[in-house]
Amino acid sequence: MRNSLRSIIACILVLAPLSAAYAQDDQDQAGDSALFRAEQLLLSGSYAAAAEMFQMTDGLDRTDGLIGASRAYFMTGNYQQAESVVADAIEGDDYARFPLLSTQLAEIKRAVGESAEALAIFEAVMEGLPEPPVRTLVQYGSLLQFKGQRSDAYRILDMAVQRYNSGLVFTSEDVAMVALASWLMGNFYDANSLFDEATRANPNNLEAHALWADLFLEKYNASDAERGYQEALEINNRYVPALVGIARVVGDERSLQRALAINPNSIPALETYAQLLMMNGREDEAMAYFTQVLALNPESLKTLSILAAQAALNERMDEYVNYYEQVQAFSPGNAQFLGDIADAFGNNYRFTEAVAYARAALEADPEYWQGYTLLGNNLIRLGEEEEGKANLEIGFENDPFNVLTSNMLKVFDTLETYATLESEHFKVHMSERDADILWPYLEPLLEEAWDTLTEKYAYEPEGPILIEVFENSEDFAVRSVGLPDIGPLVGICFGKVVTLISPDTLTANWQEIVWHEFMHVITLQMTDNRMPRWLSEGISVWEEREGRPYWGRDQGLDLVRAADQGKLLPVADLNSGFSGARNNADLSFAYFQSYLVVDYIASQYGFDKLVELVKQYAFIKEDSERFSEVFAMDIGEFDAGFRGWIDQRVEEINVYVHTEDVPDEGEGHGHGIRENSSAILAELYNNASLKQHMRSRIEENPRDFQAYLQLGIVLFKEEAFEEARSYLETAHEMLPSYTGYPSPALVLSQIYEREGNREMQLQWLEQLLENLQHDYGSAMILAEAALEAGNMERVSYYIDRALQVDPYRQDVHLLKARYADTINDTQLAVTEYEVLMKLEITDPVEARTNLAEAYLNNGQLSEAKQNVLYALEQAPSFQRAQQLLLDAVDKEAAQ
Amino acid sequence: MPSTNKLIMFLATLCTAISASAQDLAADYFLDRPDSTKYAVIMIGPAVGETNEERFRQWGLSLHDILARDYGYSSDTITLLYNDGEAAFNGAERIDGVTDREGIEQALTALHDRVDTGDQITIYLIGHGSGAEQEAKFNIVGPDITGIEFADMLDRFDRQDIVIVNTTSASYGFSASLSSEGRVVISSTRSPSERYDPVFSGYFIEALDGRNGDRDKNNRVSILEAFEYAKANVEQWYSEQGRLASEHAGLDDNGDSMFSLNPGMNEADGLLAEIAYIDTLVDDTAGLSAEALASKARMQELERSVFILRGRKAEYLEADYWREMEALLVELARATARFNAQTATTADGVTQ
Repeated sequence: MRNSLRSIIACILVLAPLSAAYAQDDQDQAGDSALFRAEQLLLSGSYAAAAEMFQMTDGLDRTDGLIGASRAYFMTGNYQQAESVVADAIEGDDYARFPLLSTQLAEIKRAVGESAEALAIFEAVMEGLPEPPVRTLVQYGSLLQFKGQRSDAYRILDMAVQRYNSGLVFTSEDVAMVALASWLMGNFYDANSLFDEATRANPNNLEAHALWADLFLEKYNASDAERGYQEALEINNRYVPALVGIARVVGDERSLQRALAINPNSIPALETYAQLLMMNGREDEAMAYFTQVLALNPESLKTLSILAAQAALNERMDEYVNYYEQVQAFSPGNAQFLGDIADAFGNNYRFTEAVAYARAALEADPEYWQGYTLLGNNLIRLGEEEEGKANLEIGFENDPFNVLTSNMLKVFDTLETYATLESEHFKVHMSERDADILWPYLEPLLEEAWDTLTEKYAYEPEGPILIEVFENSEDFAVRSVGLPDIGPLVGICFGKVVTLISPDTLTANWQEIVWHEFMHVITLQMTDNRMPRWLSEGISVWEEREGRPYWGRDQGLDLVRAADQGKLLPVADLNSGFSGARNNADLSFAYFQSYLVVDYIASQYGFDKLVELVKQYAFIKEDSERFSEVFAMDIGEFDAGFRGWIDQRVEEINVYVHTEDVPDEGEGHGHGIRENSSAILAELYNNASLKQHMRSRIEENPRDFQAYLQLGIVLFKEEAFEEARSYLETAHEMLPSYTGYPSPALVLSQIYEREGNREMQLQWLEQLLENLQHDYGSAMILAEAALEAGNMERVSYYIDRALQVDPYRQDVHLLKARYADTINDTQLAVTEYEVLMKLEITDPVEARTNLAEAYLNNGQLSEAKQNVLYALEQAPSFQRAQQLLLDAVDKEAAQ
Repeated sequence: MPSTNKLIMFLATLCTAISASAQDLAADYFLDRPDSTKYAVIMIGPAVGETNEERFRQWGLSLHDILARDYGYSSDTITLLYNDGEAAFNGAERIDGVTDREGIEQALTALHDRVDTGDQITIYLIGHGSGAEQEAKFNIVGPDITGIEFADMLDRFDRQDIVIVNTTSASYGFSASLSSEGRVVISSTRSPSERYDPVFSGYFIEALDGRNGDRDKNNRVSILEAFEYAKANVEQWYSEQGRLASEHAGLDDNGDSMFSLNPGMNEADGLLAEIAYIDTLVDDTAGLSAEALASKARMQELERSVFILRGRKAEYLEADYWREMEALLVELARATARFNAQTATTADGVTQ
């Protein structure tokens, strides 16, 4: 989106109402002249009436009137009329005699793709006039830049700036033009100040507001951009450039529809709409819009760059070259075109190609500062941190306004405080705290994932894989997408690089997340990052369950609900489930349905077919062809088979989902607790009426799982344990794999706890954990119980389950240390006491002493002695530590 | 544990690490004599809402019981003022009065009549607070009391050591008014803007419970240790809740009304709090043999050497420091072992 802005500047400028800028200046003198009234109409968005009124002007107002009429026509997309109304007034094509009319004419011609004609008009004005108007200078300079004549452009733009410096620029409109000149010359601070000045001089200068907002948007400063567009819309809520701008900032489709209702030929609106459609996988519809754009303006750089990028992404290189040459013909050496291609490749995870295009853009124009950001960003995603950072620094030095660049560089500041750890196949950046506490558990998991999944897929990715674990979720988001808000995501894989939120900041099963992300490493690298998102996510979620039986997602209720509501997407459209998700529940279901497709393939066709399908994505071809080659059927037939399998699955689940119940809502992007929102909402009701309602629901439908569960919960709260148990057991039998919170198994365990029946309490907790991967407390209770019972295998298992959720809590490490002591695993004891030492906040002396004892038992005399000395330095009279010191010294002497 | 260790430690530390004026100050207060008595006054104010009421009550009663159980206090040395005095719950018999102006005045007057020079009085305020600066108040039954008014009430205890642990919301302004030379004041909040009910009190009491806060393992809990324990746990609590901390406890013991957030040896505050213990020193030298007394003296001398060396750590190369420290600590460990052997109790209870 960002690179589109410069390409549409021309359009915005034409759309801008000169008369609005003049409105305040002239108001006092104009009284209720035709010009004044026309300007008021234009400012209020009554474009047709304004066009008519402008044409009623005469005398000294005539030129302004004609320009106003042209702009009013332009605002409604009547480009022909906009052009003729000024062209007809330029007698004998003597452009220099009518500089303002000619400038307006040239702006229109540029906007409709006649840049050569526009250039000729500007040249005629410049040749015939020693002091052309400021607007002429800036628009001419802008066009020269577009035409690849950078040094001439700079010279002309500088003339406008110098005129301002000489104190000869007075009106708000001209100040805004000087701001634009500064922007085009790369003087962003000046541009910002001048836009401020222009809007202060005339708060009704819509063009200045919108251009200023465009500048912010180009720099990824969404909040200031939105504010600027909103300010323009508060003055004129039919101002198309601002409506389009808002849509670009917040993705508001309604703004675009409104813009197109006002101006059905608005090129920026059509382009933005087409981009939104493309993002939602509606490529055919998008293409229709792009075609419309090119018919209106065959020199639309944004549209051509998007089409060229699509061609290049799909390896239709002849087509790409064709687009490239088209652009070369009217805008030779256009770095932004290549930058847009680089950006498109980066957004499609094709980082190697993105880097190549970004380099080409910089070769075309070494002062294309955004190119350094693009290059740096994509290099980082390839794990080339040093070169990436160096390029970001060049970008920042020359364009410090760019929020994306500065954000990315700030993350490097964070990374400088991080530790770097390495295992056989991985390089990991993480905070010192995570290095101390998480690494002992992360390292074996990573290598296990590598061994298991590389063998299974018979594919060894290029390594080392760089893993970055961020404590701060904003750092994670910036590192991942450049901006500090990334929504609910908790881990992102770029192929060779994986970014993660530290488990210290999460409430989720971090091990499942790591496994999931590493699976992406394999599928992305197997296909040169060409995997469609649905299949990549589907396999990663599917491999969760393969990794550990209690990982993965059981969303039986969601599946039944989606089937009932006809919300299952055709396999061919699964990507739109991700791109078109309106909320977390939609997104969560997109993951789940993708997983189901993978599960369907693996169970019905075999795992090998799944791998075959993945390999198909290494090549450019249509999905139908891929499915045909792998499954010997077209994608529609495959989809029908999948639907049949789903129907069967829904039948097997055999529960009724009431329309009044809402989907469970989860934390940690599917890896954390999923709250049973219906049960939580039910708590707002009076117990008696809720019970009555749920009983009637059960009478209506005896397979109403939620009704049984909610009734059980209410009865439990009322301490009617016997009756509660009956409903909860029925609910559990109905859907034993239910993992929402609270679940029947959880409430049943609480009933038994209240009754003092520990054996049954533990039994239900075990049931609970068979399907639930993120319950720390239950795992700890079971681990303690297993330790009491002397069942060391289960102790180890449940401690591991707790650590998967939260490795930062002392109690789990204390328990593991006790376990290590019990089984005489001195090395394990050392590991745990080392972690405990890092976690300890209130009793460091005790923690040091424990660690010293563990070292001593493990034969690490020198570490033992040093730690006990640390302890005694603070607490010299601590007798347990004194004894340990003597033991260590004696053993040392004996050696 | 040898009873005089802490004093020795403190004096040793003074020799090297603190200014002369601070030394003088510390030399006059909290002398920790076995013949002194320690008193506690627990004031529980009225609460907004049942949850708060239950929580304040539970804190107050727990504190009462812990002091009695673990620190040698008795119902004679603890004064518990509770809300309006009306209590229909288990443990209500511990209540000595009402948390209103009259109740507070009566309790302090009665206490004044009983205390001797050098006794220590620790006042725990549990409940809500409000207002800021000089208008900051402890919410009690009837008209609330300001910090200045409360400070006036405390002025009579000019020959006793005073510790005030103010755990109320918006406690800062009230606490600042109580600051005075030789007095240890803890505030659970550091500014008037911290107005939410703090969790500090719960952790402060937890520090005392079972001597959890005993960092240096001398089997005693100082006010500084309890403060550090509570502060660390408060920080962790907010971190675990994923919330920005709405309370930051501070401690002032140099009388300047400026509360240190991290009091300690190298800070403006902390020197008095480090030697202000919750319990009374016990003289345990009675009945020791001459050899045991000699061993004890040697232990005390060695401990003192450890503290002196620790205070001069910056003057040493790392390796030299630890070499000397090891030598001292090994000798201390051996001296302790000798002392333990000399004082080991036989099966029939006779000390050898």
